[in-house]
Amino acid sequence: MPSEGRFNQQRYEREPARRVFASELREATYHFKDGEDEKSPAYVLLPTGERCNRVFIIGSMTQKEKRGDQNIFYNIRVADPSGIFFVTASSFQQEAMQQVSRIEPPAFVAIVGKPNVYEAPDGRKFVSVRAESVTVVDKEMRDCWVLDAAESTLNRIENFDQSKDAALTREQYPGVDLGVYRRMAFEALRQIQL
Amino acid sequence: MDLSEASERISQKFKSQSVEVDAAAIEKKLRILVEQFGVNLAEAEKTVIENIAKEHGLESIPRQNAEQREIGSLLPGEWATIEAKVVGLSKPFSPTISQTGILADATGAIQFTAWARANAPLLQEGQSYRIESAVVDDYRGVPKLNFHAGTTITLLDENVAAIPQMTRVADLRPGVASMRVKMVQEWEARHDRIFQTGLVGDESGTIKFTIWKDDDATALETGTVYNIFYAAVSEFQGRLSITLNEAKCFPDEEGEIEVGTGGATYQGAIITIGPGSGVIKRCPVEGCNRVLSRMNYCPVHEMQSGFRYDLRIKGVLDDGEKAHNILMQREVVEAATGLTLEEAVETVESSPMGLDDVLYRLKDTMMGRYFTCTGNDLGETVLIKGCAPVTFDPDRHAELLNRLGGEADAE
Repeated sequence: MPSEGRFNQQRYEREPARRVFASELREATYHFKDGEDEKSPAYVLLPTGERCNRVFIIGSMTQKEKRGDQNIFYNIRVADPSGIFFVTASSFQQEAMQQVSRIEPPAFVAIVGKPNVYEAPDGRKFVSVRAESVTVVDKEMRDCWVLDAAESTLNRIENFDQSKDAALTREQYPGVDLGVYRRMAFEALRQIQL
Repeated sequence: MDLSEASERISQKFKSQSVEVDAAAIEKKLRILVEQFGVNLAEAEKTVIENIAKEHGLESIPRQNAEQREIGSLLPGEWATIEAKVVGLSKPFSPTISQTGILADATGAIQFTAWARANAPLLQEGQSYRIESAVVDDYRGVPKLNFHAGTTITLLDENVAAIPQMTRVADLRPGVASMRVKMVQEWEARHDRIFQTGLVGDESGTIKFTIWKDDDATALETGTVYNIFYAAVSEFQGRLSITLNEAKCFPDEEGEIEVGTGGATYQGAIITIGPGSGVIKRCPVEGCNRVLSRMNYCPVHEMQSGFRYDLRIKGVLDDGEKAHNILMQREVVEAATGLTLEEAVETVESSPMGLDDVLYRLKDTMMGRYFTCTGNDLGETVLIKGCAPVTFDPDRHAELLNRLGGEADAE
């Protein structure tokens, strides 16, 4: 058998969609690019020590607001047990925009999207998610997501020191208290009604 | 601009490869390009050379003195000289091919094709040869060695050591491989030329095998373990299969293998259902099956008036740590979504949004949801064989509460 790698070119590896609770993502205000290239992936740095280029969220869409007339976009709010995600779907993401237009809040929605950091004129930073896909799901899927997000969060906390971005996280978020995120995940799990 | 000089030059070039091409015919081809289509002479010369090379099964005009290489390190597009042993031969399907088979050395094995035009001497099984200036090309992801008019073949006095290395079924990749497997199922042959087809497997999984009709084709016995040396492994539409015509299959009457169902389990959320998903049209030419474009264009057989509908999903299953490209074939899509091919085709033919309508329905049912899938990793893509929705697991909930709560309380 010839060696396996003989036809392997440098392959593009798709970034995984991280599971992160709203109140952690809100704190992820440091963003950076890996490389100089225009196409290099952009990341936000999660306070639990992992870089994140894409997120997967399931929560309740509580508000939907249509903006713009030439370039239409939607601002939606999605609640998880820990807080609110700010999600946008604009004509640059036709598919997500059309999906949002068909959904009436309140509804359980699954969102795949890219996190972005915006700076307000007063210097405050906001994190929002630019949706790639928005689909309606049910409560059971939402509960599955809460388990998934809690487990991912706990894994990040427990493996913090092994993360390649541990030093960067300490530098960018001085005094970060991982216990806060542990309690957040615990509270989120407790809110699941059995 | 001297067309006759250029055509003489081209004719000489091919003569050195023992291919006779009429200089007048070349000149005519050049004249059409240059005078009717305004192509400059250098470009026209290049085009004509490439066309003639293709007609005669030459990859291009050979460079001389290709260096001697090991089979395990050959790459498509290379010219190579190797010393190898013939470990398998099979009857070619087409009269344009004089011989096909498998060559091996200590580093690996490769399939070869000797084109009839090349007039190469027929190789004998078990003998070793020095093969100079053969071309390695890439046929559906499998490297193959081609003999053409410029290839020189000399019989070696000493045998080249060929050492087959056994590969687990789960680790097979397109190419040539040896394996120890049990024959588990015989299937009905759906093609005149198939002698026997079915399933063999080992602990790591199963794979389809085919033996084509051939004077000395021998059938495998269901339930028997075989040591198979030098089988050709190919990939077609995401499925691997092996062809045993050139391979040596030795039954091991005493042997027993616990055949595994194969494949791994993947759990995650479907976060992308990509282009090429939904109802697709396949080329009707027998044995082709390629996906047609919306305008019914097949990459090999060009425009087709007929087609065959199929249903599939090409997407991404993401567990938060890794994003797996997945492919679900019709049966899996039907079972997972409850949408049958017949219903989907009816939608396509009756709905104004046609194909898109089906795609949206698949997205609405699958996207953003958790699934447990079983499948085989084919390298770039995981071929999904089973797919079930994930339900809420109270035990996992309790376990996580313990894991998180125990220490949260202690703080």
